[in-house]
Amino acid sequence: MSARDEILRAVREARMATFGRSALPGLPTLPKTRADDDDARDVLVERFTAATRAAAAQVDHCQRAQVDALVRSWFPQATQMFSMVSDVPGNVELPSDPHVLRALDLFVCEGEIGVAENGAIWLPTSRLGMRAALVLAHDVVVLLSRHAIVRDLHAAYSAVDVSAEAFGVFLAGPSKTADIEQSLVIGAHGACTTRVVLLDD
Amino acid sequence: MRGARCARLAAEPDPALVVRASLFVPCFVDQLYPAAAIAAVEVLERLGVEIDVPDGAPCCGQPPANAGFAQAGEAALERFVETYAESEHVVVLSGSCALHVRAHAGGLIGAGRRVAVRTMEFCAFLHDVVGVDRVAALGASLDARVALHIGCHALRGLGLATPSERMLPPHNLVRALLETVQGLTFAALSRPDECCGFGGSFSVDEGAVSTRMGDDRWRDVHGAGATALVSTDVSCLLHLRGVAGARGNALPSWHVAEVLAGRVR
Amino acid sequence: MAPRGDHAARALPLLDARGAVDHAGAAARFNADAERTGWHDGALWFVREKRDRAAASVPEWETLRDLASAIKTHTLAHLDEYLERFERAATARGIVVHWARDAEEHNRIVHAILAERGVRRVVKSKSMLTEECGLNPYLNARGIEVIDTDLGERIVQLRHEPPSHIVMPAIHLKKEEIGETFHEVMGTPAGLSDPDLLTAAARAQLREHFLGADAAMTGVNFGIAETGGIVVCTNEGNADLGTALAPVHIASMGIEKLIPRAEDLGVFLRLLARSATGQASTVYASHMHAPRPGQALHVVLVDNGRSEQLGRADFWGSLKCIRCAACLNTCPVYRRSGGYSYGATVSGPIGAVLTPGRDLQRYASLPFASTLCGSCTAVCPVKVDLDTQLYKWRQQVAAAGLVPARKAWGMRRLGALLADAQLVQLAGAVVRTALRALPSGVARRLAGGWGRTRTLPTAPKGSFRDWYRSNRPRS
Repeated sequence: MSARDEILRAVREARMATFGRSALPGLPTLPKTRADDDDARDVLVERFTAATRAAAAQVDHCQRAQVDALVRSWFPQATQMFSMVSDVPGNVELPSDPHVLRALDLFVCEGEIGVAENGAIWLPTSRLGMRAALVLAHDVVVLLSRHAIVRDLHAAYSAVDVSAEAFGVFLAGPSKTADIEQSLVIGAHGACTTRVVLLDD
Repeated sequence: MRGARCARLAAEPDPALVVRASLFVPCFVDQLYPAAAIAAVEVLERLGVEIDVPDGAPCCGQPPANAGFAQAGEAALERFVETYAESEHVVVLSGSCALHVRAHAGGLIGAGRRVAVRTMEFCAFLHDVVGVDRVAALGASLDARVALHIGCHALRGLGLATPSERMLPPHNLVRALLETVQGLTFAALSRPDECCGFGGSFSVDEGAVSTRMGDDRWRDVHGAGATALVSTDVSCLLHLRGVAGARGNALPSWHVAEVLAGRVR
Repeated sequence: MAPRGDHAARALPLLDARGAVDHAGAAARFNADAERTGWHDGALWFVREKRDRAAASVPEWETLRDLASAIKTHTLAHLDEYLERFERAATARGIVVHWARDAEEHNRIVHAILAERGVRRVVKSKSMLTEECGLNPYLNARGIEVIDTDLGERIVQLRHEPPSHIVMPAIHLKKEEIGETFHEVMGTPAGLSDPDLLTAAARAQLREHFLGADAAMTGVNFGIAETGGIVVCTNEGNADLGTALAPVHIASMGIEKLIPRAEDLGVFLRLLARSATGQASTVYASHMHAPRPGQALHVVLVDNGRSEQLGRADFWGSLKCIRCAACLNTCPVYRRSGGYSYGATVSGPIGAVLTPGRDLQRYASLPFASTLCGSCTAVCPVKVDLDTQLYKWRQQVAAAGLVPARKAWGMRRLGALLADAQLVQLAGAVVRTALRALPSGVARRLAGGWGRTRTLPTAPKGSFRDWYRSNRPRS
């Protein structure tokens, strides 16, 4: 018998011994998230902003047409900039080998949705170009339409299909660690800074 | 896990609604800290509860059970069930003992289930069956800033207060009882409900941690500016007093019953 | 390799004469340094307080716990079906699924994957499962270097110590000690202890490892049965750096880590970070459903005693665990004894209910490293009935004859005594008389372990019953 068969058999026998063969515990229905109309757009934006800041990310607003200037004002020295957003042109092409991005200064992308309760932004591969860009870059800028903010993770999982692409990540702020005597250090292995730009249009 | 609710007593005792209760005094209270039990008897009598204190059941069986020898503790638990089989209410002067009976007596045949359901810890009985208004009428007073220590089994096992870990509406029935005491104020501990470190044979087998926990509890009590410690459980008190005695930093400490009986200074 | 430095002795489990973990002995040793114990206790309590604030900010917190518990219970009750579903869905997306009955098989499978590709160096993000399986020494012995990339894990790796906490592996270390290690191994300036600078040094060194890694290993926080995907949560981004660069990703997953649907993640991810560190979310919650182009993605499903635990009527609930460590942070005993005193990969209350099932004789003391205060049960996001399980493991230990003979005999005698009202009265009178007659020093010494650190109660002349008989004569 293969390991697979042995394990499945052991599991089946064990769970039958413990739970019996009928009337097994059911899967609860998750509470329906209240429609986002219940939460005014401004409230969601405010909550999202607070949560994102609590995650040590910076939050700004502007019109889409102004983003490029804004980003350049933040990073005038960025030598290597990879952007997935046409409004903010970069100077690095999407490579086939992620190692090429080893010295990436700045990565610009646009999130699909934001989650107000924790400041997380959903970024699938199609919006990242390649996942290495997100974690190799020293600084990350994430654009997000203010209309794309949902209330909580329940709403988020309703709004996006996380299995649609090979990879997707809920990103909340720059990388961090508190592994040295509980001191919070911003900038562990991933990005050292994360800036979120909420697009007003 | 609170006790069975009975008709709330009105401010004026109605002869038709006499509450009868049997008191259980745990072995260690009986032998080493009778003052708490004497106070409990006086409080219950003054509240108009008709009490009896049956002989025959010195222990609920928890000590050996918690040490892994539930079977060894069964004889004592059976004796408990037999003794209190006919009681309307079984009032237990210990959170740990009340929890043990409620959790395990139901597994015994005979009156086990009945006794389990009717067993209540002393403060829970006062609050839920007698009522805070009647307790207030006792007119107890105590000029003290009290650190309240609810035993963990009473707290998390019996639900005498909302534990700090739980996100539930706050309630604290022991505090509600003590709020009826004139002059009594509460010190705010930095760790509201951390364990004192007694834990039965833990106090001996893991003596270093147990003592440290006791020391830390006192540090919190002192740090909160308390002038006295009040607890629901004599086992916690004996351990805490012992630890403080060794350190020389004891504060006056009492069981809730002693405070309500006005037997404290 | 043996742990180095002053804390070498502490990192090794303290065993008694029969090779059983002596938690009490190790805890006493830990407590000998009163100041450090206070520091360790305070550090973990701080995390408990952060957890409280985070939980309080979610009005439906207790509902989420109920849901999480119910989802995990349902999953475990159908685990074989969900495992098959997961395998089907994952395989369809190009993930290679392996099955390992035990630690040895897990290590063999992982090694085979690496050896086939001639891998010499692996970067690994935190996986307590790989720790449980002893993967690092296994691979090292076969010429493969493993670089732990979680900063806490990296720190203990450089010190040749195991992690002392499942989420904060280096919580037992002071920054000066970490600085010393970095100085010795990485050449950072002597005396440097600033966390920002130490982290920056680690970042720079580990960057090179990420870029040069032939393979990346991770654990799995959640496996989604319906979609065949895996979710890996980190704050540092190390799991993503490893898996975004290396041509092969091996994810080790305990079979109990499955959840049925992607939407269930809404419940678990709302609970996980808040329970673990007090954050609303980890920085990265990475969902992987298929390998990167040109990459191989392997998932190794591991049993290693989990199916056995599932068959234990009293203890299957421990398999609901999502490894948040809230129970460690709240446990007054863990905080004052440290992870090493448990001598097991997973320590604290959850370790004390997961581990005895693997070797009751070796881990017999763990269920007794507790006052049964119930705080662990109260914080657990998936409502594992930890305190009940601790009580039940004690019964198992006693029934197996693993309680020291003297104590076992004493407890049985005590049980008989406590059922006899007259004997208790007599024994009590003797104790009270002795307490009153003996000088306190003598009495304390006679009181053994109790009297070592405590004064004895002032003995009353009579018992309560004496008073009651005199003052409330029966009518």
